[in-house]
Amino acid sequence: MRTFLKIIGQHITWRHQLLKLARADIVKTYSGAALGWAWAVIKPAVTIFVFWFAFDVGLRLNRGGDYNGYPFILWFMAGMMPWFFMQEMFTEGANALRQYNYLVTKMRFPIATIPTFVALSKLLVHIILMGITVLFFLAYGFKPDIYLLQLPLYMVCMWLFFVEWAQFASLLTCMSKDFYNLVGAMVQALFWLSGILYDVHTMHVPEWLHIILLCNPITFVANGYRNIFIYKVWIWQQPMEFLYFIIVLAIMTGLALWAYRKLYREIPDVL
Amino acid sequence: MSSDKVVIRFSHVKKLYKLFPNDKRRLMSVFFPKRVNYHAKWAVNDVSFEIRQGESVAIFGVNGAGKSTVLKMITGVAFPTEGWIDVDGRVSALLELTAGFDSELTGRENIYLKCQLMGMKDNEISEAEQSIVDFAEIGEYIDQPTRTYSSGMLARLGFAINVNTEPEIFIVDEALSTGDSRFQEKCLLRVQEIIERDNVTLLFVTHNIGTAVKFCRRGLVMKLGKVTFDGPIKEAQRLYEGGDY
Repeated sequence: MRTFLKIIGQHITWRHQLLKLARADIVKTYSGAALGWAWAVIKPAVTIFVFWFAFDVGLRLNRGGDYNGYPFILWFMAGMMPWFFMQEMFTEGANALRQYNYLVTKMRFPIATIPTFVALSKLLVHIILMGITVLFFLAYGFKPDIYLLQLPLYMVCMWLFFVEWAQFASLLTCMSKDFYNLVGAMVQALFWLSGILYDVHTMHVPEWLHIILLCNPITFVANGYRNIFIYKVWIWQQPMEFLYFIIVLAIMTGLALWAYRKLYREIPDVL
Repeated sequence: MSSDKVVIRFSHVKKLYKLFPNDKRRLMSVFFPKRVNYHAKWAVNDVSFEIRQGESVAIFGVNGAGKSTVLKMITGVAFPTEGWIDVDGRVSALLELTAGFDSELTGRENIYLKCQLMGMKDNEISEAEQSIVDFAEIGEYIDQPTRTYSSGMLARLGFAINVNTEPEIFIVDEALSTGDSRFQEKCLLRVQEIIERDNVTLLFVTHNIGTAVKFCRRGLVMKLGKVTFDGPIKEAQRLYEGGDY
């Protein structure tokens, strides 16, 4: 608990610098290329096109599925958009300390805040992508409604979980590149095991497996985004899902604090 | 010019580096700390000293004597394994040649970022910006990403930022060895100026003993993680050059 309060305190003391660093992180990601900001949109657009082509046009999933009256591509986008953020956070979040090693080894800087500003910079890109998503729905004739109010809540949930993840994973990545490679290998698996391409609620599986699948925070977020855009469900209408998520978030936070307490003194020596 | 105020105090500081045969063992040691063996290297072994405000101190020692580790602990980027360290004042450090730049950002962006991280306000930075750019003598490269810089340019820019941001404790670790002699001269003059004017404390690590003698009154000699001599610079020089310490 003391460690937790210390880290919160560091965030408050360094808040201005964190915003500047988040801004620099974005500038850096997109300034080196001729198309600059366009890449933030092009990469997801290509992925969505490929999946839409394979599943909607090729496999004709739209004929059999029930997407609450929405076309497959909109249903797919609603769940896929948060995945782009999550995917980046899995790998780049795990690499945050290595990427910003100069903040660790060259100056006095609270290393616990590094994952936070990396996640902030990714969140801004995500918010822009969600704006485009809303426009996309409009183009199909679906106007934003009151359920959109839930979007910030799900964003914050997702963001918090991945800040804690990055905190934990980036510390371990410093200790060994093996961990980073492990994460890289797992990302694809996590994508297919989570409820992004299918709806976990309608799967015909035993109850225990169902609960395990619902504990997956990726599934929670993808479901949440679909509840907003497609199914029109409020978060309190699925209280168990939210409870599972809070438990998993608490566990992730515990792991992050454990890793921080154990490693923060050693990190500058090994980077 | 030194006052009585102690700005740096080391008491029985020890620093252990755990050397693992490979990264995998190191990762395992996080989860099973008792089961994984490592080679223990005491980079700093029971070091105590005090440095007062306005003092200029040189640290001599062959490679591996623990000089850089001491400076890192003063800067606050490394933590002592045992013992206590008190540092009172804004530390400005050039560790291992570079000031810690983001290689993807331009020189100018790095000036802003670095100054912001030191807690300066935007208007203070824009005031300091021109003198930093002038001092660094990087020319039009200032708007190029720092990954394209040579090591000399990085050192110059790092030095320029550090001397122009009103440090209270100034740490120079070999940072001048990459610049040409004219630039070195300029930097040293500037260092002398801020020491005299602002009562800045200087810690200087270099293999160029002549320069150290010119700038520092006091010398520490380190060997294998211990301070073997602490006293007037001339005597430190004599001991270190004679190899008898």
